Amino acid sequence: MIEARHLTKRYGQKVALDDVSFTVRPGIVTGFLGPNGAGKSTTMRMVVGLDRPSSGSVTVNGRPYAEHRAPLREVGVLLDAKAVHRGRSASEHLHAMAATHGIGRSRVAEVIALTGLEPVAKKRVGGFSLGMGQRLGIAAALLGDPATLIFDEPVNGLDPEGVVWVRTLARHLAAEGRTVFLSSHLMSEMAQTADHLIVLGRGRVLADAPVSEVIAQASGDGVRVRSPHLPQLVELVRAEHGVEPVTADDGSLELPGVTAARVGELAASRGIVLHELTPVVRSLEEAYMSLTQDSVEYHAGGAAAATPASPAAAEKAATTPGASR
Amino acid sequence: MTAAAPTRRSAHGHSVGPGVTFAHVVASEWIKLRSLRSTAWCFAVIVVIVVGFGALFASVASGFEGMEATAEQQQALGVQVITIGVAFAQLVAAVLGALVITGEYGTGMIRSTFTAVPRRTPALVAKVLIVGVSTFVVSGLALVVAALVCTPLLSSSTGIELDLGDTGLWWSLVGAAASVAMIAMISFGLGAVIRNGAGGIAASIGLVFVLPIIFTIGMAVISEPWIYTLYEFTPPQAATRVFEYQVEGSSMLTPPTVDDAVVLTPWQALGVLAGWVVALFVVAVAAVKRRDV
Repeated sequence: MIEARHLTKRYGQKVALDDVSFTVRPGIVTGFLGPNGAGKSTTMRMVVGLDRPSSGSVTVNGRPYAEHRAPLREVGVLLDAKAVHRGRSASEHLHAMAATHGIGRSRVAEVIALTGLEPVAKKRVGGFSLGMGQRLGIAAALLGDPATLIFDEPVNGLDPEGVVWVRTLARHLAAEGRTVFLSSHLMSEMAQTADHLIVLGRGRVLADAPVSEVIAQASGDGVRVRSPHLPQLVELVRAEHGVEPVTADDGSLELPGVTAARVGELAASRGIVLHELTPVVRSLEEAYMSLTQDSVEYHAGGAAAATPASPAAAEKAATTPGASR
Repeated sequence: MTAAAPTRRSAHGHSVGPGVTFAHVVASEWIKLRSLRSTAWCFAVIVVIVVGFGALFASVASGFEGMEATAEQQQALGVQVITIGVAFAQLVAAVLGALVITGEYGTGMIRSTFTAVPRRTPALVAKVLIVGVSTFVVSGLALVVAALVCTPLLSSSTGIELDLGDTGLWWSLVGAAASVAMIAMISFGLGAVIRNGAGGIAASIGLVFVLPIIFTIGMAVISEPWIYTLYEFTPPQAATRVFEYQVEGSSMLTPPTVDDAVVLTPWQALGVLAGWVVALFVVAVAAVKRRDV
């Protein structure tokens, strides 16, 4: 269980995190999404006490990380960059980490086996590929058999096999009742791994809900209909919801922001025949894009550095705080 | 690649073993120190320099035949021959002390270190102790070897017969080893504050090698007692006073000084060095605890 309360981080004038509050619960995989510079890594470093919030607080399993007597047994963390001395072997690194908590050699051997590092365990980390570095980071996170796991971009640099491995591992750890908190910029990856999403944009929480809700919240559910009386149906829906239908290539029609139940009721009330009535679920990718489009830190061209030449961008940037939530 | 699960489960992280203790942190830092090649290199260089320079100096020493040196003065000369490489050993130790901490910042290892030991201070204390003790042991052993090698060489080159049963000689060598260890610890403090590898090493070398040059020039220009006194309290000068063999009156080869200037005894010099170690370490802890990693 991770509880963040009003986390704020300022670097001089720049606000990296702005009053961020959330709870990461055990037993599920919680995804942490956001564009680059949104503050994901900063938040994760704060959870384990590496970065200090300007204000606010964060606790893990009920208390600040640094106040745990055996922090590695409470929280395992994989940070984004390689946090390993390049001159040491993987196994020496893990032994040194384990020694701080009196964790035995057998557990080190276990995590090496678990992460598939055996062939390279005696090799120096400096020669590791990004994927091997990620596996070593995950091995270190698992050392203390912790109830809470924090992985910052765990699939970064992994081959497809490794991606599947991380996904399965994360789901497995959550199924064991652990708290699993993953960040990723790969929305499709999150769709397959996470149960719950916290979306961060420009240092603010844009969404904090189950994956399906985030998608619904961002785009509104839509309905695809097929009917011999389409024009009549469209008139009815337009009159009630004011939405514009989108024609698909196959002759069907998409009505955004309307529920299938309501369309069915409207059709029945006028005796309109329906050949198809399908709820349309947006992909997480689309939901994410629509959530974060106003809060991307570095647009091509730079919305943040709005110039007089792009008043629309300036307006967008100015209204971002209101748009979040 | 199969997704096996961790085989042990710690009932949601509750009490498996005692967790972080200072002894555990020391054990971890010891693994870290000995698993790096740079450590082995630095220690090897220290041994080679101390033994090699001592042997070289002992075999080419000459010109003492006409001098009516007392037994005590001969012992003092012997100590100076044995410890001739100590200043260079201090330089290497300065690099090692800085590397131990700046290497962690440079590679990102420091984030792993402070994740495992989030209170940070125990990790820093363990590091500086491990660096100090291991440097003391290595340079001490090197000096013992140097003493054993130099004694016969000195006898054949100068006719001086060193008395290895003299405890004063061994205390001087202990002081020399301590000076090397303390320079490493001082550099560790500088490295922890500066964090950058090149910067930390430059600052340490500046302290050990450049500062004496600056003072030498200053003393040539000013030549007032206060500048000599001030120099006595700098780490490099205190580090040479620590292992001076004490002779009645003045030692033969002590660095120049002037009347009314303070000259530290070995124990006072050790105290001054310890003061530097503690002062820089306190600054380092304050800086490290305050900063984000």
